[in-house]
Amino acid sequence: MRFGGWFLLFAVCLNAQVRYSDILKSPSENWLSYHGDYRALRYSPLTQINRQTVANLVPKWTYHVRAARRLEASPIVFDGVMYVTDANEVDAVDARTGRQIWMYRDESAQLQNVNRGVAILGDSVFLATADAYLVALQRSSGAILWHKKFADTSKGYFATLAPLALKDRIIVGVSGGDSGMRGFIAAFSASDGAELWRFYTVPAKGEPGSETWGEFDTQWGGGATWMTGAFDPALNVLYWCTGNPWPDYYGGGRRGANLYTDSVVALDAGTGKLKWYFQFTPHDTHDWDAESIPVLADLTYKGKRRKLLLHPNRNGFFYVFDRETGEFLNATPFVDKLDWAKGIDTQGRPIEVPDMDPTPGGRKVCPSTRGASNWMSPSFDPETKLLYVPTLEQCDRYVGSQHNPEPMKNLMGGGGEGIPNEPGKFYLRALDPLTGEKRWEYPMTGPATMWAGTVSTAGGLVFFGDDDGHLVALDARTGQDLWRYNLGQVLTASPVTFSIARKQYVSIAAGTDVFTFGLFEPAAPISLAKGGRN
Amino acid sequence: MSLPVALISMALAQSHQEARTAKNPLSGRPEAIEAGKGLFREGCAGCHGGNGEGGRGPNLAESESLREKTDDQVFNTIRRGIPGTNMPAFAMPESQIWEVIAFIRALGTPAFLTPASGDAEAGRALFYGEGGCGSCHMIRGRGGFLGPDLTNIAALRTSTQLRDAILQPNARPLSGFEGVTVILKDGTRVEGVAKNNSNYSIQVLDAAGKLHLIDRAQASDVRFRGGSLMSDNYAHTLSPTGIENILAFLSKQVVRPDAQPANRRRERENR
Repeated sequence: MRFGGWFLLFAVCLNAQVRYSDILKSPSENWLSYHGDYRALRYSPLTQINRQTVANLVPKWTYHVRAARRLEASPIVFDGVMYVTDANEVDAVDARTGRQIWMYRDESAQLQNVNRGVAILGDSVFLATADAYLVALQRSSGAILWHKKFADTSKGYFATLAPLALKDRIIVGVSGGDSGMRGFIAAFSASDGAELWRFYTVPAKGEPGSETWGEFDTQWGGGATWMTGAFDPALNVLYWCTGNPWPDYYGGGRRGANLYTDSVVALDAGTGKLKWYFQFTPHDTHDWDAESIPVLADLTYKGKRRKLLLHPNRNGFFYVFDRETGEFLNATPFVDKLDWAKGIDTQGRPIEVPDMDPTPGGRKVCPSTRGASNWMSPSFDPETKLLYVPTLEQCDRYVGSQHNPEPMKNLMGGGGEGIPNEPGKFYLRALDPLTGEKRWEYPMTGPATMWAGTVSTAGGLVFFGDDDGHLVALDARTGQDLWRYNLGQVLTASPVTFSIARKQYVSIAAGTDVFTFGLFEPAAPISLAKGGRN
Repeated sequence: MSLPVALISMALAQSHQEARTAKNPLSGRPEAIEAGKGLFREGCAGCHGGNGEGGRGPNLAESESLREKTDDQVFNTIRRGIPGTNMPAFAMPESQIWEVIAFIRALGTPAFLTPASGDAEAGRALFYGEGGCGSCHMIRGRGGFLGPDLTNIAALRTSTQLRDAILQPNARPLSGFEGVTVILKDGTRVEGVAKNNSNYSIQVLDAAGKLHLIDRAQASDVRFRGGSLMSDNYAHTLSPTGIENILAFLSKQVVRPDAQPANRRRERENR
């Protein structure tokens, strides 16, 4: 061999591994999962950027994702390296400088779509491709470690979500509920991709829950699982939200509640067995996926410390549960534009207003099909005890067909369309997590087209993307506007924050680029190093 | 001319001049592809580029219309030319035209779809053993960090490109794999490959798979090795059989053997 003799044969020692115990501590310096933490609080303990210093927040670098059109990932950051995704692609970037380290693109993927990020564990990052392969990549080089199909595109599946890494396994869900498929959540071994369990969100004929579908062929029932769920490490329970029944806007062929669509399911992370479920919108005909993030906060509720699950739903109500028992505690509207139900009864069932189904000629219903909130991440600040929720006030005209469409033809049995002269308006709302009461709100300008979420910090700030392309920082207590930066893009992702060498950064994937901010430091002159080939 | 090619040439010579088979009798034969490559470089590369990438003449490597043509149609195009264009008629022996066609066909076909003549298992042993390939290249997590990952290489390269990459690694060096030594101002020495490099920072992956993210202001010296880290002497250090065996092993490295080739996008940069 004549390689100069200066490198070792075969790697024996690697970088510090990402351990489960590291992910339990996230977010801190690192941001190690889509939500930052298993409980999906999306709250960082970092304080360098705070109410006083945020006035000095400035851009540090921009990373352009070459083929991107619409980035939706929460960047993952570990040990100074950021991992950001586009469809079928992972880019590893030096998180201090925005310089690319490696890029992996699955050239043979048979579908394109959006992607919401990687999971990270051990020496691997994990990507779900648009055509539903789970790919494990070596963290420092991007080499393919294994590559495994987890769902069949010929049965209506595709994937957009960021996988969730816990202990020794990777959890994934599937997309496709708008054109017919049968949703599931599945766990795979992180080391070799072997399947550990699979839970179907729509029961097969004869299984419990199948009686809620009438004669409908449940292999096309929907119940997609396209957003990353939350996890309670102490209870070892996964909380995953499910999508709409299919066809979205025509319910005549699927008489019944259509379990477990538009629900949250609590699954034993070890076995995938169902511990409890709650359905927000039985027999949905408005495409109100329950995909808003389930937030796992521990709070004193009516004098008793309880492990709660908080959920602002697309249907316009904000729900509170005991996540240990599944007990429904309360639900309140968090939007003004809500007319499909008069309220929620003591069992958690909507008190529905009659004749709110879509019609061939169209019927106005509130909220809109995009929902009062959607997959834009909320965050919960344990200091202010407020939940920050991107909220849309909008109604739609819902048009529905009168027969079942054919599966896998991108047909939803109708649709929701905007009402002329009644544009939607976004707000960032701070809700009391126990009652859903609004404490303050920040009205946004813009065309009501954004999909950006939030991150809150121990610096007393809540960062979020607004409907006009700005990254904004508010005082988490009062909603006072403290800082803003125009990113010049339609925002379709949620911000994250991390720290390298005692410097805190805030990043957001926006449109086609990742923008990263830090506190102002005067530039120092440097001499170009000798010997560099540039 | 190797023996099988000679035998086929004799068989062809005995047949009637115009009674050609519709299918190339030399299709996929490594020695025919290699011979075709030489002929192509002499007679075709001036217009179509050395690897069929196009120039004055059309790109042949990625041409959908060429892919749809039968071997016989391509044969006639070479034999008769295309009147009214710059494509002349070539008065070559039939066997040589088939060799050129074998090469042209191989240009656009990923290696996993091209039959390989070597012994893949022997190739694996050589790859991870005496050949030393595995000290820099990884396949499904086994191997080194300094060279490109080869887990899916048979979908990303043609067999001709794989052969060229082994025999002439410096001909088309990839960005992100140049050897570099960085001396930091505190005396620390970092060696590996530069995944990226600017006046302000350099990102080095070392042989142990550790990333070093370095501000250029911290470096007192940055020395690039120049050229590929890979030996350019494998034509001599490996036997012809050994090379065929490694090529057969590499031709099996694909993660989606059932993927539709039409949807492949070629991306040579690997950074």
